[in-house]
Amino acid sequence: MKLLISFLSILLSISACSQELFAQTEPASTRAKGSITFRMDHTLMDEVNTSSINYHMIPELMFGLSKKLMVSGNVFFSNRSEVFRKEGGSFYARYRFLSRDALQKHFRMAGFGRISYNNSDIHQEEINTYGHNTGYEMGIVATQLLRKVALSASAAYAKAMDNGGNNKFLYGRENSRAVNYTLSAGKLMLPKAYTDYRQTNLNLMCEFLGQVNTGSGRSYLDVAPSLQLIFNSQARVDIGYRKEISATLVRTAPNGFFVRLEYNFFNAF
Amino acid sequence: MKKSFLFISLILSIVSHAQVTKVHLQASGLTCSMCSNAINKALKSLDFIDQVEANVTDYTFELTFRPHADVDFDKIRKKVEGAGFFVSRFVATIHFDPVELKEKVPVTIGNYSLLFVNNKARSLNGLQEVTLLDKGFLTAQEYKRNALAPAAGVYHVRL
Repeated sequence: MKLLISFLSILLSISACSQELFAQTEPASTRAKGSITFRMDHTLMDEVNTSSINYHMIPELMFGLSKKLMVSGNVFFSNRSEVFRKEGGSFYARYRFLSRDALQKHFRMAGFGRISYNNSDIHQEEINTYGHNTGYEMGIVATQLLRKVALSASAAYAKAMDNGGNNKFLYGRENSRAVNYTLSAGKLMLPKAYTDYRQTNLNLMCEFLGQVNTGSGRSYLDVAPSLQLIFNSQARVDIGYRKEISATLVRTAPNGFFVRLEYNFFNAF
Repeated sequence: MKKSFLFISLILSIVSHAQVTKVHLQASGLTCSMCSNAINKALKSLDFIDQVEANVTDYTFELTFRPHADVDFDKIRKKVEGAGFFVSRFVATIHFDPVELKEKVPVTIGNYSLLFVNNKARSLNGLQEVTLLDKGFLTAQEYKRNALAPAAGVYHVRL
């Protein structure tokens, strides 16, 4: 908590700009209507007590269906089962239900949901519908954008089911539900002033990601600092590191690097 | 009562020949160039728009139109909202053929009418800048403050 407060105060004291396009969470804002986004997520997580690296690759297509609704679909690949293979996929939707917009600021809220399928073996108590567990997740997110700084918080309910390929959820039905919560902060560092769409933007982000299992009461909390570049107001690269701060839940590979590549096609349909 | 008044005033409206030459709008709720670009690209997809000149510093957009095109203010507003933002100021530059403006009597130009708010009788001629006062064309606070009843096909404007 102290870390969080000191980070936020540093962030707010630098006088530059902000972004809400977080690397580990989604803001309450949705995608432009008629836009298609192609996203490619890569994570390289260090497996605990071994020398292996768990590599996950998630290609995703996102669609701005209306001014308030976006949907996306993705496919999960990983090398966890010795070979690099497809393990499943998920559908995600987000609906913005509140917008308080003013010049250079907004407060927005959205509801979101994800439904996932995965046929990998279940190897950790942590519930993760983004590339590990079959199940679903639903929640709400609130985002405040104030000139160059963006703050966002979310809370979600996640439920894990048995994975495909006869891979059972090993930790008991009563421990298959969890509450996820996140807090994200982002700040636009460069350019100092906008003059052109072609200027490269540099954003710094810091996110806190936590989970509490509603059955066992066990939990984890991670921090994920990242750096983001936006090119030509259309393409985006995020590079970051996710680090466990504390955990009582069994986790296989909580620490590691992530890289996200994204490209937006406006007026695509 | 208001509706019937409006209906009567529409019948009594003054028909004028006029052409919208330019629109200057400001979008709210954004601070980044990616968001601004989303609006820019959305506006460019409208067939009656000739050019969009975006100012990334103050989030304003200067629109010019194809000759003799039917300029649709609501389509412009919907494009900004579709990109995920809101219009906070909307000023149209309109070229009017000479017309006598009467108090509370709308001026019909093409498919819609302009009702000049708080305006005494005067004549309109040549280029005039009008600011739209209807919902979605200015900030929610300003709209509330003005308390204007919406009417189909009628835009409330201020010179």
